[in-house]
Amino acid sequence: MIDVVLSISGLGKSYDDVTAVDGLDFEIFKGQCFGLLGPNGAGKTTTLGLLEGMEEPTRGSVRYFGKPFPADYQDRIGIQFQATALQDFLSPFDNLKLFSSFYNDSIPMDQLVEQFRLNDFLHRDTRRLSGGQRQRLLLALALVHNPEIIFLDEPTTGLDPRSRREVWDIVSELKADGRTLILTTHYMEEAEALCDELLILSHGKTLLQGAPKKLIKEAGVSDLDTLFLSLTGETLVKTQEVIE
Amino acid sequence: MSSILVSLRRMKAIFIARNLEYLRDRASFGWNLVFPVLIVFALAVVFSGPPRALFVVTAIGTEALPEMVNFPGIEMVSDQEEKALDRLSRQQTDLVLKIVDGSVGYWVNGNSASGAILELLLKYTEDRPLQREETDGAAIRYVDWVVPGILGMNMMYSALWGVGYVIVRYRQSGYLRRLKATPLTKLEFLSAQVLSRLLVTLTASAIVFVGTNLMLDYKMVGSIILLLITALIGGLAMITLGLAIACRTESKEFADGLLNAITFPMLLLSDVWFSLDGSPEWVQMIAQVLPLTHVLEAARAVMLDDAGFTDIAPNLGLLCGFCAVGMGISVRLFRW
Repeated sequence: MIDVVLSISGLGKSYDDVTAVDGLDFEIFKGQCFGLLGPNGAGKTTTLGLLEGMEEPTRGSVRYFGKPFPADYQDRIGIQFQATALQDFLSPFDNLKLFSSFYNDSIPMDQLVEQFRLNDFLHRDTRRLSGGQRQRLLLALALVHNPEIIFLDEPTTGLDPRSRREVWDIVSELKADGRTLILTTHYMEEAEALCDELLILSHGKTLLQGAPKKLIKEAGVSDLDTLFLSLTGETLVKTQEVIE
Repeated sequence: MSSILVSLRRMKAIFIARNLEYLRDRASFGWNLVFPVLIVFALAVVFSGPPRALFVVTAIGTEALPEMVNFPGIEMVSDQEEKALDRLSRQQTDLVLKIVDGSVGYWVNGNSASGAILELLLKYTEDRPLQREETDGAAIRYVDWVVPGILGMNMMYSALWGVGYVIVRYRQSGYLRRLKATPLTKLEFLSAQVLSRLLVTLTASAIVFVGTNLMLDYKMVGSIILLLITALIGGLAMITLGLAIACRTESKEFADGLLNAITFPMLLLSDVWFSLDGSPEWVQMIAQVLPLTHVLEAARAVMLDDAGFTDIAPNLGLLCGFCAVGMGISVRLFRW
């Protein structure tokens, strides 16, 4: 039997009069790459924040192996935020050293540098990194302590095709390594290529859930965007369109 | 459409967008209106009153003072004997008077020309018997007076902006949120900020202190250890004040306004550039609740009067109180 890592029940989050997440129920299994898919404003990032323990739910719950978050939950997860600033004047080397020091056990620096291909810019000011280099560094920082669950919030947004492919390769390696991955994206190709299970969100609610190929097959459509369009009348952003 | 018109249209769009952004940031907008008004009022209050007197006479007690003290150009102040004589030895007052059993006792500083003129005037106008005593001591040069003020001011800016503004910048850029996603605790983060800034502040102050002393040879008669303790506790008080300001503030522009609101009164009322002796009592009372006042009082006492630990203990105690309150507020209210 596959372990349920996170079980989400009746999860909701409201800010004043805006409901960002509205009654979500789903489970995430160990070793799964779980995707939250939806257009901007669908509630992906807020849902991710609730699963990370960074946000408090207004209603419902998130349970970790059937229990409330343990005190050391932050030690067990790695997060790559959608937009993360780093301290000015620090290099990737300095940042890896800094973030490694937050944890009792961390992956050796050499291993991280090799895995995320940071060697070419290891001692460069982070303000001078390209989008792809920066994203690889942020992934390395999220994984510096070898976490059980990895959260990636739109890891390829704004990247060129080559950089996007590099991030996909890294995510695929992590999948092959048996890590539990939870990622948000609004790129269909990315969701289809990387995710074992998808939760399609619209206006904070679950629209559809299932394996990408199964969802497409059952709906009798050619791709996820067509499926989304048929459900909501809205269109998701195609990766190629964004790049172009 | 010509390229100039296109350019003007774009400029207009940016101009309007920036104005809207500014007007909609109500905190910053309000502050930009209120702050200059506060400055004008503060300066008007502090510098109001009659022109400065030619001579300063300090009386110990207020009964049956000589007629001389009513002459134009003479400012009369009252003080305790010990403090009055200290001021006389530094030529911060020109003559000290004390009425004892129907005779007029007075002290002059043998090195003071102003004291000699007042002594002549006193002899010419007073009928009662006079009892003369003399002290000595060189006048405090302005550089001796102002160096502790400048060091303190530098410490204030370094501590408040180096911690307060930077933390707000971290928050606005999302860096604090990234740190929140690690096991790093608030206390660890805040303590590291305090220690880092303290090291920077003390090192910078030490370099300025030694460097300027080599060039200006200003007065430093007290214990260097006591001065270091004063700088340490004073720096901590300023840094924790910066933390308290930054613990919830989310806008850099608003933080800038708040920091100015804290630093400007200290710049004006904490004896940085000039002494507030002779200013209204309520102004001096306000000065007493500002941490920089106590840093400078203690530093000047050590540097100019060779004060011991017990002399500056009240100042240091108050600064420790500022530290405790600032750190308490920061740890309790801090938001990543």
